Amino acid sequence: MTDIAMAALPIDLGSGPFAVTTRALAKRFGAVRALDGLDLQVPEGAVYVLVGPNGAGKSTLIRTIMGLVRYQAGAVSVLGRDPADRGAEVRADIGYVPEDYRFGYAWMTVGRWLEHEAVYHPSWDAEYARELSTRYEIDRGRRCHTLSKGQSRRVQLLAALAHRPPLLLLDEPTDGLDHVVRDETLSILSEHLADSPTTVVISTHRVYEVEPLVDHVGVLSEGRLLGQLPRDELRGSLLRYWADVPEGWSGPGELGGRVVKRSGAARAIEWTVWGDRDAVTRGLSEAGAAVREVAPLSVDEAAVALLSETGRKAS
Amino acid sequence: MKIRLSHADGRPLYVQIMDEVRSGLVRGTLRPEDPLPSVRELSSSLRVNPRTVSQAYAALERDGVVRIRHGKGTFVAPGVRPDERERPRLAREVARRALADASRNGLALGDLMTALREVEGGDPHQDGDGRKEGGQ
Repeated sequence: MTDIAMAALPIDLGSGPFAVTTRALAKRFGAVRALDGLDLQVPEGAVYVLVGPNGAGKSTLIRTIMGLVRYQAGAVSVLGRDPADRGAEVRADIGYVPEDYRFGYAWMTVGRWLEHEAVYHPSWDAEYARELSTRYEIDRGRRCHTLSKGQSRRVQLLAALAHRPPLLLLDEPTDGLDHVVRDETLSILSEHLADSPTTVVISTHRVYEVEPLVDHVGVLSEGRLLGQLPRDELRGSLLRYWADVPEGWSGPGELGGRVVKRSGAARAIEWTVWGDRDAVTRGLSEAGAAVREVAPLSVDEAAVALLSETGRKAS
Repeated sequence: MKIRLSHADGRPLYVQIMDEVRSGLVRGTLRPEDPLPSVRELSSSLRVNPRTVSQAYAALERDGVVRIRHGKGTFVAPGVRPDERERPRLAREVARRALADASRNGLALGDLMTALREVEGGDPHQDGDGRKEGGQ
């Protein structure tokens, strides 16, 4: 049995302060609406993860924040500035790991490329750069075009972190990293967050790899946010309920929450519901269901539940 | 002190950190006035957001378990008496999880209590119907 109802997740994070906001942001590529009225709010000091399927607009959004993509409608504020007018200034304050791991100056040695980055970012911390270089086992003598994907990622992460920017934009930061380097990266990011006041926006398909760092989640689909909220709120209010129900059970009628997903066979059902835990449990119990377990979803599971719901609504 | 987290666990990470500190007190590996790892050290070794560690330490301070001394670090509170407060508190937490697990499996409190005594007492039936026989 399946039954789908609207599940509108919260999208307004209040009054800030925010490191990044967009209002009704729109960007088309020809007939394709890459961003379609997007209201992003990234609180200062947050570690905000953007999740969504391929083509949802994640990279376009990040490139818009960087001032690398010109938007057509709406407003953008990045650390108090509009990247459309003051792109160079904005970029100097951002540590950016692009989705693309190829280098613009591929003929340069890694050392030369890093010197180039240091000049561009006046707050470059040479000692920190050396420390990261050692931890990442970076060979400064190699030419950029000879680096593997994982080696390139490490150089890009070093360059993003070494100037201790107020904003980090990480587009698939763990892509190409092996297990050990990925683990080291999480440790480096934890220490970086403890040492430097930073806002982080991460776009990734591998949320589980960065989940312990994340405190805000934005779910993006077709150029819009389906929801953006603190991780704790998602954990507390989007829950999976397992219940045993009588034969031929017709359902609870009005639930004190919104059903995102309902599945199961015969006498055992599984619900994913957005709403107050006690109210939903009561609603299910009063309708004759015996609730056996209630558990939070990982960010990955939440994204799958929310995105598959919109997929089915659209079809 | 060794703190372990499970990302499959339903408890929020900061609650897991709090329970690990309580468990250290109950086992005696943590004693009054012992220093806890710094927020930076612990978040780095656990690969979690430093705010999660700060949140756990702040909540432990509110509960009177630790004291945060500015610029010096976080220490187990001098007057903490694990057997009076932390042991029953941790036991309730473990009981809550055991009950939830029992309920998930369709077992009632009575079933669980009986089984706990049997397992603790080394009852020969503890391995169920024939795991021992089945192995031979």
